[in-house]
Amino acid sequence: MVFPSFTFLSLMFAILFRVLEFKSVLDAEEIDLKLLRKLAFSVGCPHEESVRSKCWKILLNYLPLKRQDWKKHLQEQRATYRQFIDEMIVQPGAKHDFSEREDVTFEDHPLNPNPDSEWSQFFKDNEMLIQIDKDCRRLCPDLAFFQSATPHPCVDVIKNERRLNSLRKRVEQSTLRSQIISKNRLGITTADFKRPKKSAYDDFVVLPEGEEAHWEVAERILFVYAKLNPGQGYVQGMNEILGPIYYTMASDADDDTQENAEADSFWCFTNLMSEIRDNFIKHLDESECGIGSLMRRFMSTVQDKDMALYLKLIEQDVKPQFFAFRWLTLMLSQEFQLPDVQRLWDTLFADGDRFKFLLYVCCSMLILVREDLLTNDFSANMKLLQNYPITDITRILSKAVEVSGRL
Amino acid sequence: MAKKTYDLLFKLLLIGDSGVGKTCLLFRFSDDAFNTTFISTIGIDFKIKTVELGGKKIKLQIWDTAGQERFHTITTSYYRGAMGIMLVYDITNAKTFDNISKWLRNIDEHANEDVEKMILGNKCDIEDKRQVPKQRGESIAREHGIPFLETSAKSNVNVEKAFMDLAQAILNKTPSKDADGHNKAVDIHKSESKGRCC
Repeated sequence: MVFPSFTFLSLMFAILFRVLEFKSVLDAEEIDLKLLRKLAFSVGCPHEESVRSKCWKILLNYLPLKRQDWKKHLQEQRATYRQFIDEMIVQPGAKHDFSEREDVTFEDHPLNPNPDSEWSQFFKDNEMLIQIDKDCRRLCPDLAFFQSATPHPCVDVIKNERRLNSLRKRVEQSTLRSQIISKNRLGITTADFKRPKKSAYDDFVVLPEGEEAHWEVAERILFVYAKLNPGQGYVQGMNEILGPIYYTMASDADDDTQENAEADSFWCFTNLMSEIRDNFIKHLDESECGIGSLMRRFMSTVQDKDMALYLKLIEQDVKPQFFAFRWLTLMLSQEFQLPDVQRLWDTLFADGDRFKFLLYVCCSMLILVREDLLTNDFSANMKLLQNYPITDITRILSKAVEVSGRL
Repeated sequence: MAKKTYDLLFKLLLIGDSGVGKTCLLFRFSDDAFNTTFISTIGIDFKIKTVELGGKKIKLQIWDTAGQERFHTITTSYYRGAMGIMLVYDITNAKTFDNISKWLRNIDEHANEDVEKMILGNKCDIEDKRQVPKQRGESIAREHGIPFLETSAKSNVNVEKAFMDLAQAILNKTPSKDADGHNKAVDIHKSESKGRCC
């Protein structure tokens, strides 16, 4: 008979103990935010028993601290999101159904030059949508998850799919099919009416009607967000911020959490963006609060913690724009595997000193490879920083704690 | 002392709208493979490939940029150091071709005056979705006196040639090694001797 090894058992107990520890905080009438932050910061949130999804909702200020308010609050927020979908996707989509002819004599029509025309807005939205679509299709490509069908597609959209233009269809329609018209030297024009054999999106699996892939849900969330924040719109990289949040909600074991993953992710994403959006806004790049100043703060942290390393980067002209721009705007989500990003974000979301800890994490990533950085030439250093070699996230986090002096 | 592994260093830059296939072209050239599942480039990416041209080992340092307008303030800072710029559009997307003139203006504003340029119409394997006839690409290139190629990162058409032609154009302008090098290519003998003098 084989007995489970002692290490295995102790590991199981450690996980169980951690879950219980979190549950005692989460089950209290009023959440002790300080305690929750401390726990999440130091050990990370277990995904068992929906602990992580609950913690993130609290740490991102989506769920109120009083537990008795949760039910009502969630109902309201989810209903509001549904309302957004109706206003921004279902109604305009139904109105602009290309398949039915309508009398446009007195009404708004697709060629209306008036900038207030709903049609002109519709076409402008489509441009933004094409960008979101491109990025969501290539969200976390290493993972099958985003390409697979969600068990909880958006009812309002699916129900009306025959009638309205789902976002997927809007994007497909907005690139017109063209014929190849050529003129030979004799002036004879030939048009090639070849039927398209394959689509440009051949490499993506198209799900049957009535089904939606997870990336399409992510696309809808970003579209609604961009519509609600017109000054900022959609910026590439926002998809990489939404990805881990949506994945955490939609892969939760609890049915109710899964079913409401779209609405809840939308609000968590919106709240997170309100804290980090300045990094995405171009005209703030050179201001006090934009990404430019964040990169300067990062470099002065490096200077503070490791002067030799700082001088080496300056000497080689390895600018923070070359690597830290991506690290900081995406909160490292492109540098690590998704489960490691989740563990990292447990700590970042729990940081009472909002996202200052991210600077220490990035700084410790440099320090952990300092021997290489100090000896390599420019190209090797760029390669190293663009493809960061250390995968052990707990090692990076404990170094960051040490560097920050928060022991 | 570090072993000398190349004679000249050329800095190249890839620009163009988002989704035209800049990263795929670079991946095809550097790793000779195609991957449809690329995450979007945020900020800037970087690859190195050493090639042989005219009996010289040339290290190509290639910068791959994000396409969206938002990143221009971040990416235009690389224009200045670039010796060659590859301007890419997607033949299946007319909009990306219309933006070529916008990108050319960017080059005029931010790059060195004598930077070598090349225009690439990518995704030429998807003929049935073509929106930009080859002639239109050729004519805009002729207008600006810039070499032009249609490429496919997927089917490996003209990718190697595009990079090699651009490198060759830079090499043609580079004074030979014996001539006292105030050339545009980084002279590694000079940078290596740094710190060893006195």
